[in-house]
Amino acid sequence: MQDGLLLQEGVIMMIDVWLYGEIASYSGNTDAGAYAHLEMEMTPGSTMRDVLSRLCIPAAERGPTFINSALSAMSGLQPDLGHVLADNDRIGIFSAVSMWPYQYRFGAKMTPELAAALKKLPGGGLHHAYDAEG
Amino acid sequence: MRKILRINMMDRSFQFEDVPKAYHDLGGRGLTSTIVSNEVKPTVHPLGPHNKIVFAPGIVTGTAASTSGRVSVGAKSPLTGTIKESNAGSQFPQDLARMGIKAIIIEGYQQDDKYWLIHIKWDEKAKAPKVAFFPADEYLDRGLYEVFPEIFARFGNKVSISGIGIAGERRYLNSGVVFNDTDGRPSRYSGRGGLGAVLGSKGVKFIVTDRTGAPAVPLQDKGIFEQGRKKLVDALRNHPITKPGGGLNTLGTAVLVNIINEAGGLPTHNFREGRFEGAAKISGEAMAQLVKERGGGRMGHPCHPGCIIQCSNIIPKPDGSELVSVIEYETTWAFGANCGIDSLDTIGELTRMTNDFGMDTIEMGGTIAIAMEAGLAEFGDGQKAIELMKEVGKGTPLGRLLGNGATLAGKALGVIRVPSVKGQNMPAYEPRAIKGIGVTYATSTMGADHTSGYTIAPENLASGGQSDPLSLEGKADLSRTFQEATAFIDSTGHCLFIAFAILDIPTGFEGVMEECNGVLGTNWTVDDAIRIGTEILKIERAFNESAGFTKADDRLPEFMYYEKLPPHNVAFDIPDEELDSVYGKM
Ligand code: SF4
Repeated sequence: MQDGLLLQEGVIMMIDVWLYGEIASYSGNTDAGAYAHLEMEMTPGSTMRDVLSRLCIPAAERGPTFINSALSAMSGLQPDLGHVLADNDRIGIFSAVSMWPYQYRFGAKMTPELAAALKKLPGGGLHHAYDAEG
Repeated sequence: MRKILRINMMDRSFQFEDVPKAYHDLGGRGLTSTIVSNEVKPTVHPLGPHNKIVFAPGIVTGTAASTSGRVSVGAKSPLTGTIKESNAGSQFPQDLARMGIKAIIIEGYQQDDKYWLIHIKWDEKAKAPKVAFFPADEYLDRGLYEVFPEIFARFGNKVSISGIGIAGERRYLNSGVVFNDTDGRPSRYSGRGGLGAVLGSKGVKFIVTDRTGAPAVPLQDKGIFEQGRKKLVDALRNHPITKPGGGLNTLGTAVLVNIINEAGGLPTHNFREGRFEGAAKISGEAMAQLVKERGGGRMGHPCHPGCIIQCSNIIPKPDGSELVSVIEYETTWAFGANCGIDSLDTIGELTRMTNDFGMDTIEMGGTIAIAMEAGLAEFGDGQKAIELMKEVGKGTPLGRLLGNGATLAGKALGVIRVPSVKGQNMPAYEPRAIKGIGVTYATSTMGADHTSGYTIAPENLASGGQSDPLSLEGKADLSRTFQEATAFIDSTGHCLFIAFAILDIPTGFEGVMEECNGVLGTNWTVDDAIRIGTEILKIERAFNESAGFTKADDRLPEFMYYEKLPPHNVAFDIPDEELDSVYGKM
């Protein structure tokens, strides 16, 4: 009831978070296994950075990241930290050891921030690994 | 002196031929496609007397070049009707290369319903390979897991085995050519395109190679070769995807399950959705967890001696004993998400059965999904899927139908939603969500194939480097360049997965060219890779055109143009002209 009220007033929003591989241990369950699935309550206006800091995940430790099935970050290229999340958004965060090679990715959906960041890279970001930033 | 071994199965005659000058610099796919194109009329029946099947190690296979134990098997495909090259990793091509065999061409037709085992052994005295034929009756109609140990016991545990299972004996359109892995399992496959049926149609059950005593592969320029070898090893050891402890080594190719699922591109329930609820349970992360918890299995296993990347795995049963090796990404997808099955134990059982019968897991999973779509089983019913597989093994009328692949099963069962291109079922990447892959599926010379579009350092790709990877037109240009690069890598004998490293580390790519120069005495630079790849694709396209294929065949199945795929709710919308421009510009 309390939750419902808060939601109605826009005081909190729900974020559906999936953590894969070793990063799953940041779910609070150190025995999380291969993945962890969390429903996180966040205040409206929260960003990806806020989610990562709530989970104590150092940004550099994550690999490919998705917001609503759009790729938003990869190791070494993380333009999504300021991405403002909306109620019921789904986030998928992978360990840095994970990968999404270019040939299995070209033409897939990306967040506008990531598309812009890739455009700035030589060759339009046609690579597997990036070292554009920390 | 390298030779081509030509075997005629009409009378089991054979000869070692000099390598024609035009074939001197070819290897792997470049060689199999050139020979098939030169010697096989494109209109022949793939299972008739005039098709030929060619085995070729890559250019550097058998040398100390890392991750290069790959073999190309080529023929006209009974599944697609196109030219086909299907690639596998094993010691087998390393044996051929060491014995100086540049290619084996098998021609003719089975006589008297008899099957043969071809034994190729290095003869120390003659300093040449010796060929013998043994009746193979005792191995017929039996599972490969039972038969392989008998062959090792008979010919020695250092030999390599290639051949067919019951699927090839029955001429199933889904039948692969099997090779043993480093521990002697029948688990490495030139799986796609029904090439096992072609080998079966010649009356060949197995080819066994024994290279004991054979010399090293001769090098034209040892210095250049060594320099190139080191450059590639450095690149492989340093790239996050290929290095020891990297993505492929730690999680296997199934590292992609959760990724592609999060991207909304994991084909689920016969390509109805792009996300599978149970994805995390069938992923590479889940396999690694299983290996850790159950013990007994292993992540980071090599398919052939000399692979640095080691992307293969051994999956254990609950008691730690071996369930199966290997569950690849495409395999866990095919039996998993595509059939709605979320148990690795069931997927492992289905994989083992598919290996045992001598088949391709991608096509098999795709066919079971079609059977589910037709109502022969519920999606997610693993037990029923295993029962359907048993029918395939027994060869009942239903089993034969399912053994002939998704396209034929779809027609027989009245299913419209058949995700195939040129008769070959699509693998584990939804083209509506990952559109670039859709361009490659549509236009590849091989039918829907995920291994047709690998790329190399864009700094060296004239067209790919200039096109905008985010634009529509960019996808067509990139797809072509990827396909050209792939055709080249498939010719070197290197595993395609080196492309991950050499895309980012240009010295690795240089290294590959130097290795080839060291073996062949050529002066190739990186520019030659695309030139060579283009030539191979032209040969393959010309074969397909003469076999009756037109641009109307370079399309995805119609339902993908009108059925929107959740969660992105998108249809495939790359215009036909754009697809046609892929090869229009070659
Ligand atoms: S990377 Fe994997 S598929 Fe490639 S050669 Fe090594 S084990 Fe085989």
